[in-house]
Amino acid sequence: MDIKITEELDNTLKDNGFKQEEILDLIESAESSGTKLKAREGDIAIAKGGSDNLTVYAVYSPDELLDVYAHKMNILGLTGGELSEIDYDDASDWACAKCGEIALERNVDMTYMGVTRPGPGLVCPKCDEFYVSDGVAKTLKTAEAILEEKRA
Amino acid sequence: MPAKDYAPIDQNWLEEAGSLWTTPWVDKPSERVIVDPIILSHAASLFRKNAGYFYQNPDEAIRMVCHACELYDVTPVGHYLYADYWGQDYGAEIKVQTNSPPGITNRPIKTAEDVDNFEVLETEDLVKGPTLTTHYKALDTCKEEFPHMFAPITQLGGTMEVATNWAAIEDVFMWMITEPEVVDKLCKKAGDHMVNACKATSDRYGANVMITGSVIASGDLMDTEQIKRFSFQPVSRAVRKVLNAGAGPGVYYHLCGNHTDDYQMWKNAPMSPFTIVQIGYDGQNIFPTTKLVEAFGDRCTCFGTVDTKLVDRGTPAQVYEQAKEQVIAGKDSPRGFILGTACECPTNAPPVNVRALVKAAKDHGKYEKF
Ligand SMILES: [Zn+2]
Repeated sequence: MDIKITEELDNTLKDNGFKQEEILDLIESAESSGTKLKAREGDIAIAKGGSDNLTVYAVYSPDELLDVYAHKMNILGLTGGELSEIDYDDASDWACAKCGEIALERNVDMTYMGVTRPGPGLVCPKCDEFYVSDGVAKTLKTAEAILEEKRA
Repeated sequence: MPAKDYAPIDQNWLEEAGSLWTTPWVDKPSERVIVDPIILSHAASLFRKNAGYFYQNPDEAIRMVCHACELYDVTPVGHYLYADYWGQDYGAEIKVQTNSPPGITNRPIKTAEDVDNFEVLETEDLVKGPTLTTHYKALDTCKEEFPHMFAPITQLGGTMEVATNWAAIEDVFMWMITEPEVVDKLCKKAGDHMVNACKATSDRYGANVMITGSVIASGDLMDTEQIKRFSFQPVSRAVRKVLNAGAGPGVYYHLCGNHTDDYQMWKNAPMSPFTIVQIGYDGQNIFPTTKLVEAFGDRCTCFGTVDTKLVDRGTPAQVYEQAKEQVIAGKDSPRGFILGTACECPTNAPPVNVRALVKAAKDHGKYEKF
């Protein structure tokens, strides 16, 4: 894959401490393993990588990197432990690239600084893979800042 | 009265109360359970003012609330809100009342056709509107004068509350039977409005705590299928959109009224790391904290309550007894516990009753495990 990174986005990457190479590696490995989300409409995908301390996501089209975001809260699994029936439409705009299932918007338990609480995740119901959207990552950033202040 | 006429807030108290308040979400050891009696116009009664005065003077209102928090030794948060938000912005008329919060007298939606033509206001228009202008006047005063008691709250209610501030409740209930798809549309628009309102608060203050849930959509007025369709589902969609728009992280599900038949469905409502669930009644009785903790304890912070009717009309001993039972049942809830009242503290509740509530938390809400 030959992925273009605009100067503007590259500056955002630098401001947030991401290196171009590591983002491209992350996309590379998502492409080879198939572990990624793909938009149900259009050809945009989300790859994820990183560690327990920082989960990094790259949003990209076949030829361009569109966005990069991250969260520090580590996703442990589904809140309540299992995928039970729920009473509203929880289908997201994304599908799991590996199995083709529509990713569901469900509460997932996240842990940070010894505190475990739910947050809205994107869940592949088959592969047990969890993602978060760019907007939720912004919400989590506020949550992380509060935990950092209050747990300190 | 102006800020200079108040005695200074005790900073040691404030620090202590602040740490009790954040315990439920951050699992940080503290001495005891915090109490939040949702003090609004009750604060005015402590200053010999009435509810009408409270709601016409948002800056003074917040000062009275903050000082009432210190007086009672409860959650140090400058609350300011009332139930009939979001009518005026869309052309409703509002009536200021002496002894209760403002009420809507004339609503913008009169017919089912009006629902189709009704347009939800964008964030930038809401910011300029009467509701947020007043609300932010209170919040700005809090941020300026009581920075440690500031929380960026957006008062939403649920989709049925917003809908019935736009259209008369009797019309909405009639459509629910005759043309339910009209109510679907109305609730969807209410949900979109909720998202825009939350964005306004988070743009302004960098974060947002949304008060949602349901008051009208309770078992006394609606059946479980109706609650699911017109409240739980559209509220869940709206909360999910707010969080996906980055306008979190606080989610406070205030399920007022009787929720015996529908409370279980709220277990799957979208949650953030700062979620509180409060349920008013189980049939005619106060919702038992044991039941609340059983359903929600492994998910979010539980807000156990004392009956507001008891706080208003009961004896201090009765308030103390019910508070004691609830606090013992809830204090060790895995993701934190707050003791409070089923809805806002009644305007003219006897102060000794509010004190009895707090006393129960001090006597029986201690954390031995820390
Ligand atoms: Zn899958």
